[in-house]
Amino acid sequence: MTDTVVKDKGAVDKGAGNVADKVADARSGGAAGLFGALGGGRSSVTWLTLLGLAVVLPVSALIWGGGWHDGWTVDLVAPLDSFADWVIANRDSHPLFLYFLLHISNFATDSVDAVSSLLTSLGWVGVLALATVGAWYAAGAGRRGLRVAGVTVGSLGAIGLMGLWDPAMETLALMIVAVAASALLGVVLGLAAGLSDRVQSALRPVLDTMQVLPAFAYLLPFVLIFGTGTPSALLTTVIYAAPPMVRLTSLGLRGADPTVMEAVTSLGASKFQRLRTARLPLARKEMLLGLNQTIMMALSMVVIASVVGAGGLGENVFTALSRKNFGMGLAAGVAIVLIAVWLDRVTAAAGVRSEAQPGRKAPAPGDGRKTALIAGGGAVAAIVAGQLVQREWPEAWTFDFAEPLNRFMDWVVGAFYTDVPVLGGTSEWAGNFTTWVLNPVREGMLAVPWWAMVLLAAAAALLVGTWRGAVTAAVSLGAVGVLGVWDKSMHTLSQVVVALAITLLLGFAIGILAARVPVVERLLRPVLDTMQTMPQFIYLIPVVQLFNAGRAAAIAAAAIYALPAVVRITAQGLKTASPATLEASRSLGARSWQQIVQVQWPLARPALLVAVNQGVVLVLAVVVIGGLVGGGGLGFDVVEGLKGSELGSGLIAGVAIVCLGLMLDKLTQPTSRAAASPASGASGK
Amino acid sequence: MTQNSQTTADAVSTLAKGEAAKGEAESAPAVFSVRNLWKVFGPKADRVPGDTSLGALSPAELRERTGCTAAVRDVSFDVRKGEVFVVMGLSGSGKSTLVRCLTRLIEPTSGELSIDGEDVLSMDAARLRELRRHRASMVFQHFGLLPHRTVIDNVAYGLEIQGMGKAERRARAAEVIAKVGLEGLEQRRPGQLSGGQQQRVGLARALAVDPEVLLFDEPFSALDPLIRRDMQEEVVRLHREEGRTMVFITHDLSEALKLGDRIALMRDGQIVQLGTPEEIVGSPADDYVRDFVRDVPREQVMKVRRAVRPARGDEADKGVEVSADAKVCEAVEIVARTGAPARVVDNGRLLGVVDQTALLAVVAGVDLPEFPDQPTPREDVVPA
Repeated sequence: MTDTVVKDKGAVDKGAGNVADKVADARSGGAAGLFGALGGGRSSVTWLTLLGLAVVLPVSALIWGGGWHDGWTVDLVAPLDSFADWVIANRDSHPLFLYFLLHISNFATDSVDAVSSLLTSLGWVGVLALATVGAWYAAGAGRRGLRVAGVTVGSLGAIGLMGLWDPAMETLALMIVAVAASALLGVVLGLAAGLSDRVQSALRPVLDTMQVLPAFAYLLPFVLIFGTGTPSALLTTVIYAAPPMVRLTSLGLRGADPTVMEAVTSLGASKFQRLRTARLPLARKEMLLGLNQTIMMALSMVVIASVVGAGGLGENVFTALSRKNFGMGLAAGVAIVLIAVWLDRVTAAAGVRSEAQPGRKAPAPGDGRKTALIAGGGAVAAIVAGQLVQREWPEAWTFDFAEPLNRFMDWVVGAFYTDVPVLGGTSEWAGNFTTWVLNPVREGMLAVPWWAMVLLAAAAALLVGTWRGAVTAAVSLGAVGVLGVWDKSMHTLSQVVVALAITLLLGFAIGILAARVPVVERLLRPVLDTMQTMPQFIYLIPVVQLFNAGRAAAIAAAAIYALPAVVRITAQGLKTASPATLEASRSLGARSWQQIVQVQWPLARPALLVAVNQGVVLVLAVVVIGGLVGGGGLGFDVVEGLKGSELGSGLIAGVAIVCLGLMLDKLTQPTSRAAASPASGASGK
Repeated sequence: MTQNSQTTADAVSTLAKGEAAKGEAESAPAVFSVRNLWKVFGPKADRVPGDTSLGALSPAELRERTGCTAAVRDVSFDVRKGEVFVVMGLSGSGKSTLVRCLTRLIEPTSGELSIDGEDVLSMDAARLRELRRHRASMVFQHFGLLPHRTVIDNVAYGLEIQGMGKAERRARAAEVIAKVGLEGLEQRRPGQLSGGQQQRVGLARALAVDPEVLLFDEPFSALDPLIRRDMQEEVVRLHREEGRTMVFITHDLSEALKLGDRIALMRDGQIVQLGTPEEIVGSPADDYVRDFVRDVPREQVMKVRRAVRPARGDEADKGVEVSADAKVCEAVEIVARTGAPARVVDNGRLLGVVDQTALLAVVAGVDLPEFPDQPTPREDVVPA
């Protein structure tokens, strides 16, 4: 079980639909679960602990006063700053750069440029036709191939119509190089992890940590070494997107049907033959799923990397954010969603292609060659056609979506921003929210002494998970204090807590509704798919217009961004929790409300905890990005660092974010991954 | 299955050959020779076989004392050339472990094991691969087919592993596919086939490398009863045609009795009785075996030879002739129809006669005192 845990935020977070479903389906395996373990004998312990903390926290705040112990900090900002200065001074002269890092940097730039100019020289007709033929072939030709080819034409065509062809090609060029490198890296590491237990156990904690980290935190170290520009953007994306490929490759190799492996061995296959002819082909499906997730994660990172100069569609979103141009941002966001849908369908179709269904007509022997010939011919025709017509997307064939969207947004802002009778308007709401909710929570956290906070974290992690989780949570929180950013961290943490509360409240409510009313679920599904694929930045634009720049806006964006995953997991958890038990309760005459409270809710608890975990990870990611719109706290330091001025404090803030991420993950992790409760299955496939 | 009817004529003509092979088997050289073989799972497994104080323990006691499970305990037998050697036992009796030990898919803990006189346990990796590639190939309960390959490439897999060229191995595979009756399905994938068809692919894959010995590990347990019978007949037919040595693992007694020239009955890792089907059914070694074979229709296993009594009066000169190796049920039918004793002939020599009383005694499992277990030709019987 432990080996098969693939808890990928990419799966729930960025998958355009079916990926999240796969995870959710597989998750239903773990029934009983954490709250079950907390029930019975342990519940009194739980309540006693909570009661104790409820007494200790305010009392300690009154007696000792809050904050971190002043003497116990290590100042790393100065050494980091001087290191950054050294790097900048020696970037062009030191052998480490000249003979190693510079080559990487140049190679990154060159390969992206090469792909980019290739796409340009193909012309829009060439790219569109080639992508269509490729999609058709990858999906196994025939009729199903046609459907995927249709999706390809539709999404790429729509991007062209929106007038975003050029930035989309720029993004695509970066994506192609990043995904190729990421997949290669992932396969190599996945092979090692799949074949060696030692590598597997060494890699697992690293991968686990990587997937709780906000994408934003990855950027700074690369900026430090390579400066802003393509190399940083590319390498960040490669590193960020590799984990699912590693995990799923390893999972696929380890999951090879033992009866097949034995049969192959019994025929005298050597070790290498077993790998080549059996283990790898048997892992094909998992590896393609890994590729699918890697693509989705790379796509989301490419957008975030626009902060460090990735260009392309992300650049549009980023510019739109700084100009508060909602229409422009949303158009670019839709283009990204379209790319995601296109790539998702192609890789998903390629994944199921090899599984021939019983009873389906067997392909004739020559079929493979024939489709390859058709595809090859189509590709050649595409290239030729691309050269015959104008290479740029024709100006006349574009439609400006941004303008009407902006007008709509302006109307919304005009109508609701302020002076709405009785209700007051969004601006006042944001102000009141900050004054009456955010500030008290933050002040409360700052008023409590550090050791009480650490105690709280450890106790919560212990109640939810294991001793090791509790130790990790306590150490992570302690590290934040040692780094000297305790107050900023509490600032960020308070936003996370509040945003999470809002997300869960709304998410559970909508999730219950979706689980009970099929129509709601059907209507929600495409909305959730789109929302999950949208880059985080998009959500910042309208909320800033409505709620002003500041913490309230960051929290609203975080809640919106995390909502789809929570809704989806909640609905799935409620629906898959033992239909037989539900039927029994219905046959006993339970009302809807009784069914939810007495049957579905308790049975769905493990899934709900997964929803909380996902919610925390996603909320943190956006709260940190909120530094761009005045969210303050750690995110602000990171943003400053990315601008190149305060690299040292930016890096410290990045590390602090990592620590907070680890702690929050442990606080909400359904269980130790090792054994304990079966809820570990709930965290993934 | 069409191939059965189409080869009925062949089967009749090869019947004699098969019978002859069976006769030779008594003195045929051993292909596999197994002596004092042990396979113990658990911590410090290798101390268990040598320790005589542990050897006598029951499995539960052994686990309690040492934490080990002895899947195969001190097993010795020979598999003779050309015979079908059945290892039969309930699940957990160690039979599957035993057959995997033969090609060291599971490494035995101790003992001796040789194939054609060559020590298997001392083989290095390359030599062992040779053994698996050319001399002994296996058919598995769950088929173990490669789902991403077509039928023909699955069948050719063993040849591919050996390094044979594509055209040649495909040609060979096509021949074997025809032999097991899968013509026309060459380009299907395993997922598109029924269970019985999949196992035919598994059988064809094992046959394609032309091994000296075929090992079957409960090959038909996962199949429906009707398909299972077809497949059993397929194995009988293949054995008649090719006379290949087979080791057959099963938990199904009727399958064991149907296919086996000799049967080793296993319990808790040990062989409790080794003998022909007739010996197992007619003379169970202990209560466990007796209980096991209690419901076997004896008239379909026991041979007429067993019911013979000396001819009296003119019995030696009249009545229908019946072979001494015919099943009792055949003689029952003859005697019931004619109402008179039938004459029993062995290789043209008259052994005596069988009558209703003697046949009934065999069916009932009652040994009449005046008839010895294994009648030998009497001096006083004049050959016809």
